Amino acid sequence: MDFSFSPEELKFRNDLRQWLIDSLPAGWGKTVFEPADEDDRAHFRLEWERKLFKGGWNGINWPKKYGGRGATLVEQAIFAQEMAIARAPEGLNIIGRNLAGTTLLKHGTEAQRERFLPKILSGDEVWCQGFSEPNAGSDLASIRCLAVRDGEHFVVNGQKIWTSFAQYAQWCFLLVRTDPTLPKHQGISFLLVDMKTKGISMRPLKQISGENEFNETFFDEVRVPVANLVGGLNDGWRIAMTTLAYERGPEDGLGRQIRFKQDLERLLDTVSKLRRGPASAMDDPVIRDKLARSIVEIEIMRLNCLRSFSQAIHGKPRGAEASMLKLYWSHAAQNLYETALEALGPLAPIAGGDPLSPADGRYQLGFLSSRAFTIYSGTSEIQRNIIAERVLGLPK
Amino acid sequence: MNFDFNEEQYAFRDSVRGFLGDRPAGVGGALPWAGESARQLWSGIAELGVFSALVPEEFGGLGLTFVDLALVLEEFGRALVPPSVVETLVATDAIVRHGSADQKQSMLPRIATGQLRLACAIIEQVAGYDMAEMGTAVVSDGRDYRLDGSKILVPEAANADFLLVAAGFGGGRGNGLVFVERTHSGVELREQRTLDPASAYHEAVFRHVAIPRENILSGEPSSDALQRLFDASATAAGALMTGVAGKVLETSVEYVKQRSQFGKLVGSFQAIKHRCADMAVAVDSSRSAAYYAAWSLASGAADLTKAVSIAKSFCGDTARFVCNEGIQVHGGIGFTWDLGLHFYLRRAKLLEYSYGDSTYHRERVIREALRELGTAD
Repeated sequence: MDFSFSPEELKFRNDLRQWLIDSLPAGWGKTVFEPADEDDRAHFRLEWERKLFKGGWNGINWPKKYGGRGATLVEQAIFAQEMAIARAPEGLNIIGRNLAGTTLLKHGTEAQRERFLPKILSGDEVWCQGFSEPNAGSDLASIRCLAVRDGEHFVVNGQKIWTSFAQYAQWCFLLVRTDPTLPKHQGISFLLVDMKTKGISMRPLKQISGENEFNETFFDEVRVPVANLVGGLNDGWRIAMTTLAYERGPEDGLGRQIRFKQDLERLLDTVSKLRRGPASAMDDPVIRDKLARSIVEIEIMRLNCLRSFSQAIHGKPRGAEASMLKLYWSHAAQNLYETALEALGPLAPIAGGDPLSPADGRYQLGFLSSRAFTIYSGTSEIQRNIIAERVLGLPK
Repeated sequence: MNFDFNEEQYAFRDSVRGFLGDRPAGVGGALPWAGESARQLWSGIAELGVFSALVPEEFGGLGLTFVDLALVLEEFGRALVPPSVVETLVATDAIVRHGSADQKQSMLPRIATGQLRLACAIIEQVAGYDMAEMGTAVVSDGRDYRLDGSKILVPEAANADFLLVAAGFGGGRGNGLVFVERTHSGVELREQRTLDPASAYHEAVFRHVAIPRENILSGEPSSDALQRLFDASATAAGALMTGVAGKVLETSVEYVKQRSQFGKLVGSFQAIKHRCADMAVAVDSSRSAAYYAAWSLASGAADLTKAVSIAKSFCGDTARFVCNEGIQVHGGIGFTWDLGLHFYLRRAKLLEYSYGDSTYHRERVIREALRELGTAD
């Protein structure tokens, strides 16, 4: 066990620090923040991601030949920490980097990797995820979106839902049913679909936060080349499990932890400056205790991810344990945003845009958005089933 | 960077587990480690090299750190090992870090072989965990020092050769630690009744106890030494509570895999599964916190204070949660004395309120976090 850094690692850290100073706008995180408008923010994040790529800092753990820099675990942890310290924005192509990319690295053909991976990192191709359907939520294996082979193509018909960032995406990875006669887990395949293909349409879904990340996506006689099948025909469930293990795994968790830590530190700052009667709101022992609880929980989220990383490096296979990370962080983060509103007390209801709103409504938005954490990427109930049955060995 | 243990550390853990046996403790309602088994326990642990672990090689030890002991402490929690073992370990660390050359020379070789037992006397009835409010004081009459005051909940003081007593020195000299021989005149011990019958705790009263200068740890009052002892004790308690919680989780999972109701194994019901899953996540996260604190303590990390308090508060909350849930999923049998689960609950409660409870440590966490951010507090 060792958390210290070698001279090479310190150099990596200093290089990154310098790059962040040079690349972030002056006053970033103090007086300058992301655009408030959702669409502007998406484009801002895409531009930031392209900037990261040009600096050699996007997808750092990927192999060099696909545009990464083959970063070690330590470098990834340093990267996460420095991005948190600098309060750097996140990128737009999270699904491309964390899910499409990692799935292709594990299950794609060399041709598929060469075709798709570099453009994910360069920000030229943003990805979305076509897994859930209106009648296949927690019961994901019951998907009905159908793909029928026709010569050198699959013809896809059906509907997907909760397709985050579909409005910005050039590509989508799609779970489709390729054999309705097989048991439900066995007749599924994993396809890569160009979002410009004829027959794809989408409808935005407004979320409880008022944001519009989600979409419904419709596929009407959409022709997908057979070369875009990942893995074997009817082998899609196994591949989807890889995708989900990454979606719930430590890479994703460490990236999110940065955001939560940034919000938490900004909250401490906000509450310290908030006057309540003759004193600072930070003098209230009840608020202090709740804030401390969140500091504890968010720090342990980081430690859980680092431990999971180390175990993966030592050859422990990725699997159901990722559900433990996800179940933990989703509830810890919900607690954080609830605590944030409690700490703001009488000012908590004032929304962003109002001149008296603390931190311009950031914590209201965080609170509303956090309701999704325990639903997406497998609800907490599904995660608990997975942990109970596959980690603890309880009977079905 | 690596957040995992090495093969030797796992092997050390395995040998300790092999010796302790991994049966649930207290089954049949018998007190764990009572009578003869307590004596065998001490000599067995000494033979395994646990007491020599923290002792530097020049004093006959292994020169290891708290990282090497983290998994072993977790095992002690699993097996409800009485506190005197851990008291001796944290006192050893304080002596290694802060002891004078003579103190090291006279004590460490005997500690390494298991010949010397120590107990730490820190908490007071009124001051609680607050060192600044301690009433116990060492006063100099120009030549000699005298110790007066009283401590509560001193773990197994009656078995200790020496007590390591926290005291103020008055006159702006801060506080520090002094060695007091248990049999010294003016030392009075009274066994206290506590929630945990599987370990003994004493009230220790000191009346004008003569303290030769060489019995002051490091020779001078040292708040750092006292803080170190407190942090090491809190870290050890975090690992112990993680072990308690881990064992209760395992016992509970085993039980719901074989208990049937409504014609089905109760472990197949989601109401039970989900409780078990939440327990598993809590235990795993408790390990992250406990192991990181052990590393921070061993390496003197910049965030040591925060890391220790994160571990003590989170592991304490987890042990409480898991012990409560463990009894719940056992149903009626879980509430019986004879099943023995209550011994884990009781030990967890004792540890939860030792060396700072969760609320105390969360206040340390927020103070440290605000200090790190440079935010005026």
